[in-house]
Amino acid sequence: MKKIQHKLKILSNKQICGKYFQLVLQAKELAPRLKPGQFIHIKVTDGFEPLFRRPFSVFRARNGKVEVFYDPVGRGTRILAAKEKGETVDVLGPLGTPFTLPGKDIKQVVFIAGGIGVAPFLLFADVLKLHKAEKILLYGARSREHTFPMTEFKKAGVKTFVATEDGSVGVKGRVSELFSKITIDPATTMIYTCGPRAMMAAVQQFTKGAGLKGEGSMEEVMACGLGACLGCSIKTTKGYRTVCHDGPVFALEELIFNC
Amino acid sequence: MNISVKIGNAVFPNPVTVASGTFGHSEDFYDLEEVRKLGAILPKTVTRYAQEGNPPPRICETPAGMINAIGIENPGIDVFIAEKLPRLQKTGVPLIVSVLGHIPEEFAECVEKLNAAGGIAAIELNLSCPNLQKKVLVAQDPEATAALVSRLKKISQYPLIAKLSPNVTDISAIALAAEAAGADAVSLVNTFTAMAIDVGKRRSRIGNFTGGLSGPAIRPIAVRMVWEVAQKVKVPVIGMGGITTADDALEFLIAGATMVAVGTYNFVNPRAPLEVLEGIKAYMKANKMTDIKELIGSVQR
Repeated sequence: MKKIQHKLKILSNKQICGKYFQLVLQAKELAPRLKPGQFIHIKVTDGFEPLFRRPFSVFRARNGKVEVFYDPVGRGTRILAAKEKGETVDVLGPLGTPFTLPGKDIKQVVFIAGGIGVAPFLLFADVLKLHKAEKILLYGARSREHTFPMTEFKKAGVKTFVATEDGSVGVKGRVSELFSKITIDPATTMIYTCGPRAMMAAVQQFTKGAGLKGEGSMEEVMACGLGACLGCSIKTTKGYRTVCHDGPVFALEELIFNC
Repeated sequence: MNISVKIGNAVFPNPVTVASGTFGHSEDFYDLEEVRKLGAILPKTVTRYAQEGNPPPRICETPAGMINAIGIENPGIDVFIAEKLPRLQKTGVPLIVSVLGHIPEEFAECVEKLNAAGGIAAIELNLSCPNLQKKVLVAQDPEATAALVSRLKKISQYPLIAKLSPNVTDISAIALAAEAAGADAVSLVNTFTAMAIDVGKRRSRIGNFTGGLSGPAIRPIAVRMVWEVAQKVKVPVIGMGGITTADDALEFLIAGATMVAVGTYNFVNPRAPLEVLEGIKAYMKANKMTDIKELIGSVQR
């Protein structure tokens, strides 16, 4: 059995834009094992404040390095933001059920993301480098401050479209304004989405109406991250499922949004 | 060095186990070589019939602790015996199966099914889960505790452990009632009923409204309760409540516990139970103890 607990050195931990910090960890053994949609569970303190680890979608995993980015809004992420290059963090991973890779017959891969939910899609784009499908990212954020830069996505061969609620970047409005960028061809299109629940509910509605297949990555407060405590369970059409182990990726039609 | 302990006729190679509900059955994550070192495995409580559990949010973090209201989500004892039990038995580690019945008949049926299944070491009776919309728990009433333990003792092939609730005025009274009725051991503490409010939304942070508090925050109360109960009962006590390190576990052992369980901290450090075991052995060696009996209840009066 491969180990899931690692003590990883911080190679860099910097504010990269607006609200977001990017953490790069040296992880020669872990990096190649991470699949798109999986996450790592980081212990941010040696003490009990805060008690739980914090989960982070993996943004990039290559060249023996694991990268995540985060918005230091809470107690845990604020402590993480203060850590410096050279410090070591205790990390559990790879965790979670990854996205299903699109089959050979898929011609259009559409990532639909909101805010920090864009995180898993760069790793996904890296993995799909040799896949012949067109890769599109529809990205919505509140304002310029909340918008993650599209440069790396473009370099990874993704066609990006951005919408911000205040119009400070791209189109003014929600990500649903960008749905028209998708060529509706159910047999050759796969949708992958991650972001605020209201956004994901809108994506679910849209894909249902258009007959498109898709997967969504969910988020929930987590304790163990391993599927043991059942604390992060969400209601799905198949009953309660853990976001950390059964998910975070679920078939879009199985998710239940109460918005 | 002898660190094996007994509950009834069940023998455990060492005194370290995991608190019910905190140890997953997902073999993907636990190193089998390491799991094999545990004194016992105590999986999540099973009920007679499958239960969905409570609506989210089911957990929230609190200072040095957490509140949970999972609500005993489980596939029911038939599925447990058919699918989960064999995998747990493959580890070779003695199993203590935790059961809960909403009525005494359900408890009895669970015990009978485990008798028939075989291959376990003991049964823990969950008399104390605070998350099931019950007005009074069995473990909050000495007479109800005695009646249930007595009834189950008559039919169980395995030693019975009564899991006690700390949400009582006098936990020793409940422990004594369980012992008098035939319980082979008592385990304490289950979680403390607690609440946290989201100030922004003016709502409880837990979907079920209240939940049970666990983790390092409760440890001093748990140690006191274990000490109190160990003073009064003759049967072994399984002590738990916020154990994170070997030193924490030693507090419970010295206070009188025969076994210790790591619960909440499994979520932070999956290796915690093993580190606790190593630390207990190191302590005994450093203090020239050759038998764990020298450690249990050795607190000076």
